[in-house]
Amino acid sequence: MKSKKVLSRRMTFILMLAPALILFIVFNTIPLITGTMYSFTNYKGYGSFEFVGLRNYIDLFSDTRVWNSYLFTFKYAIVGTLLVNVISLVLAMGLNSKIKMKNTLRGVYFLPNVLGGLVVGYIFSFIFTYIIPAVGSALNIGFLENSILASEEYAWIGVLVVGVWQSVAMNTIIYISGLQTIPGDIYEAGMIDGVTPWQKFRHLTLPMLMPFVTTNLVLSTKNMLMVFDQIMALTKGGPAQSTESISYLIYKNGMDGGQFGFQSANAVMFFVVIVAISIFQMVITNKKEEQL
Amino acid sequence: MRKGKVAISLVAAAILTSTLLSGCSADSSQQGVTTVTMLQYKPEAVKAFEKIEKLFNDTHDDIQLKIESPNEAMTVLKTRLIREDYPDIVGIGGDMNYSNFLDADLFEDISDIEIIDTINPAYSKMEKELELIPKEGVYALPYAANAAGILYNKDMFEQNGWVIPETWSEFISLCDKIKASGTNPLYLGYKDTWTCLAPWNALAVGLAPSDVCSNVNAGKTTFAAEYPEVAEKIKVLLDYAEPNPYAYSYNDACTAFARGQSAMYPIGSYAVPQILSVNPDMNIDSFTFPANENEEDNVLNSGIDLHFSVMKNTKNKEAVYEVLRFLFKDETVQIYLDEQGGIPCKQGDFELSKFLNGMEKYIREGRMSDYQDHHYPSEMSVDAMIQTYLMDKSDNAAELFLERFDKEWVRYNRDLIARVQKYEEEHK
Repeated sequence: MKSKKVLSRRMTFILMLAPALILFIVFNTIPLITGTMYSFTNYKGYGSFEFVGLRNYIDLFSDTRVWNSYLFTFKYAIVGTLLVNVISLVLAMGLNSKIKMKNTLRGVYFLPNVLGGLVVGYIFSFIFTYIIPAVGSALNIGFLENSILASEEYAWIGVLVVGVWQSVAMNTIIYISGLQTIPGDIYEAGMIDGVTPWQKFRHLTLPMLMPFVTTNLVLSTKNMLMVFDQIMALTKGGPAQSTESISYLIYKNGMDGGQFGFQSANAVMFFVVIVAISIFQMVITNKKEEQL
Repeated sequence: MRKGKVAISLVAAAILTSTLLSGCSADSSQQGVTTVTMLQYKPEAVKAFEKIEKLFNDTHDDIQLKIESPNEAMTVLKTRLIREDYPDIVGIGGDMNYSNFLDADLFEDISDIEIIDTINPAYSKMEKELELIPKEGVYALPYAANAAGILYNKDMFEQNGWVIPETWSEFISLCDKIKASGTNPLYLGYKDTWTCLAPWNALAVGLAPSDVCSNVNAGKTTFAAEYPEVAEKIKVLLDYAEPNPYAYSYNDACTAFARGQSAMYPIGSYAVPQILSVNPDMNIDSFTFPANENEEDNVLNSGIDLHFSVMKNTKNKEAVYEVLRFLFKDETVQIYLDEQGGIPCKQGDFELSKFLNGMEKYIREGRMSDYQDHHYPSEMSVDAMIQTYLMDKSDNAAELFLERFDKEWVRYNRDLIARVQKYEEEHK
């Protein structure tokens, strides 16, 4: 009797897990494996192909366009992750304090996350191209008179502004939920000891919030590294190929152009890089987490 | 509550039966009737092809023609190729996709169809040049073409007494004159990198030989030797455009030209519908890009927008030929032109769209050459390279650009170059 009950219990868990597992394998694992297989070929996306061994991987290292896309993506991801986490932590502390219309404000700050990346991109594209230059020339501010998206040096900042604006929303929500888990008695104890606001933040809030910082860092780094929508809507990789991210290059040349095999190799490389970074971040930040 | 359920089930039943019925009617083919399926890639031409399809089916009892015009037809076609579900005829453009399909040996040799003799030789030559490795036979019948050069605001030209330029120096002095009058001579939408290719192609056909790409593949020349003048002249255009053209997209440029913010717009005839949608009353005409100092050296940039190929596995070659003959009848071609505009690839007295008036002479004389970017691999992103070059203000920008062009060309065409050179070895 007892063993049957255990068995059926186990069956329930397996049944609960199965749909997600099957979907994951069909839409994630199998494409990953076939993609890896194609990365050793000169496949164009149709027609016949030959296995070319490691040629695609060797080419990756000598291709300046690939290098530039990695440089751009990392520059974007590092600056972006820092900005997103600082801004959203500040916002979360503000939205978690005793203020009027707290819930409405939380809703407003979450709005950018609800809007699609392309929609937001096109709106900002209009702002950067027409509104800001108009303001710039009306007020005679030299550096605003030209669209930032048309500048080879600064277009990435335009993309960054939109990317950060959008991802702050989700991270703020996570930080708010994190702040709510911190028990009030710690702060009371702190008050009795007479902490300054900075000490309170540095030695009480931040250590207690560390698990959420870990989650947010990993999530936003990954999101920032995969930047695609904003580039599609704002710059299409231009001007002068200065804002080509890795994802954009893989899509553009793998799907649109005939480099399916080569860009598969690029995708495999990118996958390895992201996994490595995620593990690294988890290890580093896990050490800093406090347990009560 | 109850009533609502009944209504819903009634609607559902109606939908079901209607789909069943339509399913039946589509499947029931009569005895002795051959069905020919055709897939064409221009969704904007669906009206023209519906007319042609109806006309054909009304006049033919033994053949039934079915024309499909899906959105994203290239993707549909590629998936159908993978499933080995081939249509009989495909109507696609004369670009790199066609070259690759042909190279994958997907098309039937149709050199025995008599229509070939009625095709404008300029377009037959273009078809030949689309073959990556020279092939025996004919694999596509060019149907309609578009042209690129300069679109101009006819009313503005007439009011100011400006004359259509025929040489490069006339063009430059016209631009100076327009600029002095306070209007932008040109408007460029270089934010969309592909628009950099429009003036590039229009200049290149006049200044470089039409087979430059295959000659480079065969190792006979380099781009650094063929393209310096093109590179130099495309940069001059920047002086006559709005400031910072990299901030404006194709749509922005079309809108600006439609609103009279510039007198000319270096783009193809395909932009006319977009411009007219902003300003339906605009009086647009076009002229060939005057790339040379000598009018006789100028060539119109015109490429095959639609051509028909027969798939290798077709079972009804006779019926397919009948369809092709019908498509190339003068009346059918005129139906297409009336609906779609463009240039007919068949010789004859067709009524051309009024937007092409200024190019008509070149079309009649066959002084045309294909878009050079039809031979560039799209993953090389020559458009972005041109944009990079235009933004580069250093003195040796042109040299750097052409050097990079040659270097990247070899890298992206490695497999093809190896095959071409092998072919050259064998056919010495």
